[in-house]
Amino acid sequence: MDRREFMVKTSIACAGAALLGGFPAAAQAQAASGVVVATGESPARNVREAVKALGGMASFVNKGETVVVKPNIGWDRAPEQAANTNPEVVREVIAMCLEAGAAKVKVFDRTCNDPRRCYVTSGILAAVEGMGDSRVEISHIDERRFKPVDLPQGVFSQRYSFYEDVLTADKFINLPVAKHHGASRLTLGMKNLMGVMGSSRAAIHRNLPEALSDLNLALRSHLTIVDATRILTANGPQGGMLEDVKKLDTIVAGTDVVAVDSVATTLFGKTPDEIPFLVTAAKRGLGIADLAKIKINRVKA
Amino acid sequence: MMSAKTARRLVQSGVFALFFFLFLNTEYKDSDQLPYAVNIFLRFDPLMGWAAALADRSFIWLMWPSLLMAALTLIFGRFFCGWICPLGSVLDFSGLFFGKKRRGVSNQKALRNAKFGILALLAGSSLFTLQLVFLFDPLCILIRSLALSLYPAANLALNAFFGSLYESGPGAVTAVSEPAYAFLKSHFLSFQQPYYRLAALTGFVFFSVIALEYAQKRFWCRNLCPLGALLGLLGMMNPFKRRVREDLCTSCGACARVCSTGAVGEGFASTQTAECVACLECKSACPEKAISFAGAVKPEAQPPDAGRRALLGSLAIGAFSASIFASDAKARYADPARIRPPGALPEDEFLARCTRCGECMRVCIANGLQPAIGEAGPLGLWSPVLVPKIGYCEYNCTLCGQVCPTGAIKRLPVEEKRQVRIGLAYFDRNRCLPWNGTSECIVCEEHCPVPQKAIKLKEDPLEGKTFKKPFIDEKLCIGCGICETKCPLTDGAAIRVTSRGESRAEKE
Repeated sequence: MDRREFMVKTSIACAGAALLGGFPAAAQAQAASGVVVATGESPARNVREAVKALGGMASFVNKGETVVVKPNIGWDRAPEQAANTNPEVVREVIAMCLEAGAAKVKVFDRTCNDPRRCYVTSGILAAVEGMGDSRVEISHIDERRFKPVDLPQGVFSQRYSFYEDVLTADKFINLPVAKHHGASRLTLGMKNLMGVMGSSRAAIHRNLPEALSDLNLALRSHLTIVDATRILTANGPQGGMLEDVKKLDTIVAGTDVVAVDSVATTLFGKTPDEIPFLVTAAKRGLGIADLAKIKINRVKA
Repeated sequence: MMSAKTARRLVQSGVFALFFFLFLNTEYKDSDQLPYAVNIFLRFDPLMGWAAALADRSFIWLMWPSLLMAALTLIFGRFFCGWICPLGSVLDFSGLFFGKKRRGVSNQKALRNAKFGILALLAGSSLFTLQLVFLFDPLCILIRSLALSLYPAANLALNAFFGSLYESGPGAVTAVSEPAYAFLKSHFLSFQQPYYRLAALTGFVFFSVIALEYAQKRFWCRNLCPLGALLGLLGMMNPFKRRVREDLCTSCGACARVCSTGAVGEGFASTQTAECVACLECKSACPEKAISFAGAVKPEAQPPDAGRRALLGSLAIGAFSASIFASDAKARYADPARIRPPGALPEDEFLARCTRCGECMRVCIANGLQPAIGEAGPLGLWSPVLVPKIGYCEYNCTLCGQVCPTGAIKRLPVEEKRQVRIGLAYFDRNRCLPWNGTSECIVCEEHCPVPQKAIKLKEDPLEGKTFKKPFIDEKLCIGCGICETKCPLTDGAAIRVTSRGESRAEKE
């Protein structure tokens, strides 16, 4: 059992215990459910200030660690179209990881359109390669590297597969873009995990709320940073019309993915209880979806 | 000085390396526009270009290099076959396996005239708008074989080999094999494993051409290749013909023995000019140094001896076959699955121009363009159709139009390409999960690339269950097929695309 596996299993055990009502996992989540909302002109500064308000990247990433930074690179769309994570935000998060002493930062996504086109058009390939740092590795998904993970507490399924690099990384930073989505209404941090799962993603659309909760139960995001530099308000998740894009110059970040997503729903004028996957996740004890219980720290960057 | 043979081998290898480099680069490499004219070999091919132009009754500007090729042939004869043709190089290379001695054929004179007959057949059919050149053009055969059969198979084998090492090899092995695999991946292998229909048939044609080498060196080139025939005829008047000083010639026959196209005539002094590929091997082999390809000695050139009646007969059969194929019901009534790539000309013009070279299928980024089996009628064999169950048309991609050598698929700017409708989607409501009351889904809607979404959602109760149900907006749908590709049903998708409503055809 390696470290990652241990972590996965213990978090599953904790969540399982929380469901039974005995273990203080919910209390832990509550303590950790402070969410920062940073707003300002520069996407890079927003994300830096947001992470700083959470205690700085060094409080998440230790020296010598391997970190996976998982942006949304799902679509063959340009940054202005707000279908993928903003490349400046991606670059800044990687830079902060390196400053905190990360030995290796890996960036990848299992895309929906052709992977090469997505990496190029999103601007993320150029942004990451432009850093010219050998500790940073942006790569395409290698189908051989998906490994099965048993999840006895799974509701939609008891067996998933995840990308090996995520399972073996020391830290996983979940870096989605905030978008409208036909099936799940919004796509935020919880749904971003679909980019590191193997096997059929289409199949889990039959019951996204339970399946997304399963995924987030199996794989914990140490830090969730929702990029709302631009949000896609309609015709998501890939959009294409600038009329549907709203520039918010905002970053929402925190350690509880459910809480971060819940706060991010307000950017769309929604509340978490309108989003089925957040309702389910809260019910299953994955985190806090009650806005009244989330400590929101608003930062001007 | 370098021998003629060495020089020729060097040129052949260099040209083949260029050819293969361009083949490998007929793939998206992080740039919307392909940086090289990857189809340039095809565009130098007068047989292909002229058959397409004749059948389509149009001048094909893209094929201008074929005029250059023709001009060079007027001057230098059929040198293309001996020095340039990548299929010829492959055949020469296959000599490593077949050895120097071949079985031989019984009636060489009659056999070698077959290629003129094939050329006449192609001319006759093209005159009557039927383009059959795809069956016989050496470059089309080679590129198509590589694209649809040999290269995918090589990818599969290498992926499987390195994959098995990765799965079960000891650390010491993978420490070597993985970097080697990464190198192959970035330089030689396809980004994703390509899969094509007709892979076996296409490969069979290729290996049949190779197998003919058992009978004779360059059997294909001597006896069957209509491009060789055309170039041979074009080069009849070239000033650099083989010539023999009869005062030196001892009739030892060394020249005839090395000639790989049987161009040395009776008595060894005369030459079948249309057969000679200017390989210069006879010159090297002549112990008396009696042979040259320039100079004052008058060449003794013999014209091809293909019978006039036979040629006229072939021409007539070609012409009549145009009517036969035009009367095939499949040619008249479009198959719903005949979904052509965006920018494809109207069907008749498309078939006249498409030479089934395989470039568009090779370059298709999502592996969606596949060789037609029956979708486009008996004559549409190998022509590209989108098979959305296998792969879709990528919204922002214009590569197929960039590689088509004959303009059968127009090169479109991306803004224009996104507007082209290649078909329309429809739902099979009996199978669609939200429609038949099974569960939520709408993966199709999520993937629809049209900015306003050509798949709309409505919440609609059915037997007490309310799921978001997808509808097609036929005004917006462009038929790209991503919905069908991504539909989670594992057999046939519940959303299908047909060629209905395609932009290039008449409105319903």
